[in-house]
Amino acid sequence: MRGEAPGHLAIERVVKRFGSFTALDGVTLSAARGEVLTLLGPSGCGKTTLLRVIAGFLQPDAGAVAVGGRSLNGVPPNARNLGMVFQNYAVFPHLSVAENVAYGLRARRLPAGEIARRVEHALRRVRLSGLADRYPDALSGGQKQRVGLARAMVIEPELLLMDEPLSNLDAKLRVEMRQEIRLMQRELGITTIYVTHDQEEALAISDRIAVMEKGRILQVGSPREIYEQPAHAFVADFIGGCTWFDGVLGGGVLSLAAGPRIPCPGPAQPARLALRWEDLRLATDADPPEHCLPARVAMASYLGHRTRLRLVLEPSGAELHADLPSHDPLPPEGSVARFAFDPARARVFGADGTRLA
Amino acid sequence: MSGTLALPRPGLLARLDPWPWLGTLAFALMLVFVAWPLGELALTSFIGQESGRFGFDNYAEFFASSYFRRALVNSLTVGALGTLIALVIGVPLALAYARYDFPGRGAIEVAILLSMLSPPFVGAYAWILMFGRSGWVTEFARGLGLELPPIYGTLGISLASAFGLYPLVFLVVRGGLARVERSLEEAAASLGRGRIGVTLTVTLPLVLPSLLTAALLVFLGVVSDFGTPAILGEGERFPVLATLAFSLYLSEIGAEPGMAATTCMILLAIALVLVLGVRFLSGRRSVASDAGGGGGLKRLGGAKGSAMTAAVAALVLVANMPTIVVVVSSFLEVRGVVFQPAFTLANYHNALAAMGNALWNSLVLAGVALVLITVLGAGVGYYISRRSGLLAKALDLLIMVPFVVPGTVLGIGYATVFNEPPLLLTGTFTIIAAVYVVRRLPYMTRSCAAVVYQIDRGLEDASLSLGRPPLSGFQRIVLPLMQPGIVAGAAIAWVEVFSELSASIVLYTGPTRTLPIAAYQQAATGDIGMAAAYSTMLVGIAAVGLFVFLLAARGRGERSVGWL
Repeated sequence: MRGEAPGHLAIERVVKRFGSFTALDGVTLSAARGEVLTLLGPSGCGKTTLLRVIAGFLQPDAGAVAVGGRSLNGVPPNARNLGMVFQNYAVFPHLSVAENVAYGLRARRLPAGEIARRVEHALRRVRLSGLADRYPDALSGGQKQRVGLARAMVIEPELLLMDEPLSNLDAKLRVEMRQEIRLMQRELGITTIYVTHDQEEALAISDRIAVMEKGRILQVGSPREIYEQPAHAFVADFIGGCTWFDGVLGGGVLSLAAGPRIPCPGPAQPARLALRWEDLRLATDADPPEHCLPARVAMASYLGHRTRLRLVLEPSGAELHADLPSHDPLPPEGSVARFAFDPARARVFGADGTRLA
Repeated sequence: MSGTLALPRPGLLARLDPWPWLGTLAFALMLVFVAWPLGELALTSFIGQESGRFGFDNYAEFFASSYFRRALVNSLTVGALGTLIALVIGVPLALAYARYDFPGRGAIEVAILLSMLSPPFVGAYAWILMFGRSGWVTEFARGLGLELPPIYGTLGISLASAFGLYPLVFLVVRGGLARVERSLEEAAASLGRGRIGVTLTVTLPLVLPSLLTAALLVFLGVVSDFGTPAILGEGERFPVLATLAFSLYLSEIGAEPGMAATTCMILLAIALVLVLGVRFLSGRRSVASDAGGGGGLKRLGGAKGSAMTAAVAALVLVANMPTIVVVVSSFLEVRGVVFQPAFTLANYHNALAAMGNALWNSLVLAGVALVLITVLGAGVGYYISRRSGLLAKALDLLIMVPFVVPGTVLGIGYATVFNEPPLLLTGTFTIIAAVYVVRRLPYMTRSCAAVVYQIDRGLEDASLSLGRPPLSGFQRIVLPLMQPGIVAGAAIAWVEVFSELSASIVLYTGPTRTLPIAAYQQAATGDIGMAAAYSTMLVGIAAVGLFVFLLAARGRGERSVGWL
């Protein structure tokens, strides 16, 4: 759908090095007009570096960035017309809320009446109308970030760049704010590049997610694709909880050291199988033994609608997790039970991390 | 949707990054006005005054002369003793202010800072008025049949210096104490240490870097001071390195300045060894946490509070005594060399009549220097705290050099290199303004850099991303936030520049005489009444300037809307 549209933001083979460290290793990526594209990855993966290259705060060593067909190479950040929202808000402490929001409009030399009108509108949108004359030190973190948001949106930027905008907020507010951001973004249709290390946030807010590791993009896809069809072992491991099983692939069959054997195409090699925690269930008599794992329940953690079991495989002693619905009858701690998985939901990765099945 | 809010076409100004240019300019200035004079002095010191050979002849001669050796020993002695006394006064004050709230706290703090206002030689002069051969305390004691020890020499110089410099100890150690994690003290207390035990085993070791820094600043201040030993050392009778260098330089005009340069280099070497030593010692012990100590002050009320107030007030009163004595004396009648208990304005009549352009010169020179220090220092302070390149590092280092170089040394260096084309500056206002700027620029760069380090870089990024060109964003966002640092730096620089003596005494000529020089000359050899009048004017005008700065800072408030 949206991914088919011509790229509004086009990043081509961007390289950025800091001394001997390669922060971006030939990144190619495009974002469609109006979509939220999230850069997701652990700290140091290059996601913030990529965002800062787009913003113009960093100059790439190679490659090109274009927005709306206009190359941004050599364009200083203040001439790019991109709105940015910062992790620590970066709200100007010596300016009132209204002056903060008006800041970018003043740089665009709008008439005073027009500025006042737009500021008022923007503040109403982020529900800060009553606080226009307050100074930032009288605002909560959430309110400060709303100011940051209004300030970035009011200039009607080509792109909205958001650098972990919610990670300094507490958990409940984070969930609230990300819904607000999503609604506002849809309403305005601003193409948004969103950086986060929080997978849940990424899944919730994005049209598409680009998972990054060590300066490279491993997979780009919808949240569902990223979660259900990880293209790389790192993606599977980073998003959601996985248990890994070592095995050997050969003759169309993956044989796990833990016992189970499942059919799997591919050349003979050592391979690993990833199983989501929620994809293990208590086995019934109907489950074939090669899809079953006997394990002892070491610990049960009640998490509300699910209960997370920490299991120890019999007899190897390897550890794994299983998330089971809390309302199911669960084996008591210390007991041994058989757990089954659906081979169709198992993901197999080769030694280099690429997906085999 | 886009396009309705077009950015103005980015002109040249929108792209201009002025900071490397400013950094390069400042670096070039520092090369000319710091590296060159000092380098020339170093070179001169290695050219034998008698032999003309390159080598250590001058140094050999220096250490062969018992008079020169005495100057070295005297410098080190008054330095050590003065530092010790300043620590003894300053550390308890700092502890009291960092940990306790007591009645009169604010007012006494103002008094402590006020005692920094009077230049050291004014303090020295006051000590002579009190404890000199015919000082009123000496006379009073004599009336009781007591003969006080002479104030001239080691004891007097150490005391006068310490009472002028203890506020440095107070400020630095108090700052260190504020950063000590209070929970560490609580942990020690919970492990069974009493209050004194906690202070000795935890608090003081933790602020050792601050103590060392404070001691270093005081020692450098004592050793590099010219006015105090010149007045209390009675010229050649009690030589120290700073006065020795000065008199060698004076006697050598027209001849080879080798020995003056050598004395300067020995003075400089002492400063460098100490700076590096302190840096080494405190570098390994960086224990104060930046997270901030937190924890409120312990309120002392009732008898305890009164006792604390009385003790602190008494200490500060003694420390401010020299200034008070000078100010009061300036309004007393003088007969011969003795003040009479009768009020008069005669001293001011005489002082004004003999002043010539001194006051005007001082105001203009200090004013010009202050403007240059503020503009250059704020820019460079921003540059060195935001850029990490080699130029920024080298500039930071070079700017700090004059901070530890005694003024007399810098003055002699200037007189040596700027007395011929292409830069023929001797005898001009420019050379004095230049030495003022170079000596006090570090206050401004440090003060500004400290503030800039605290300013979130994201604010500048935000300003850029919102479409402001770098310079316009600097003006609108960074400059207003830097203002506390600029005001603080300017306030200190003003007081220091206005009362500068050590370097300008070397460089002044008749037409460029300044108020501190006039005051010093009268205090050293002239009329005691006029000396008191000049000194009072000096302290008074410095104080008025400081007051204006503080008012300006308060009036603008923290939330200046800048140039909107």
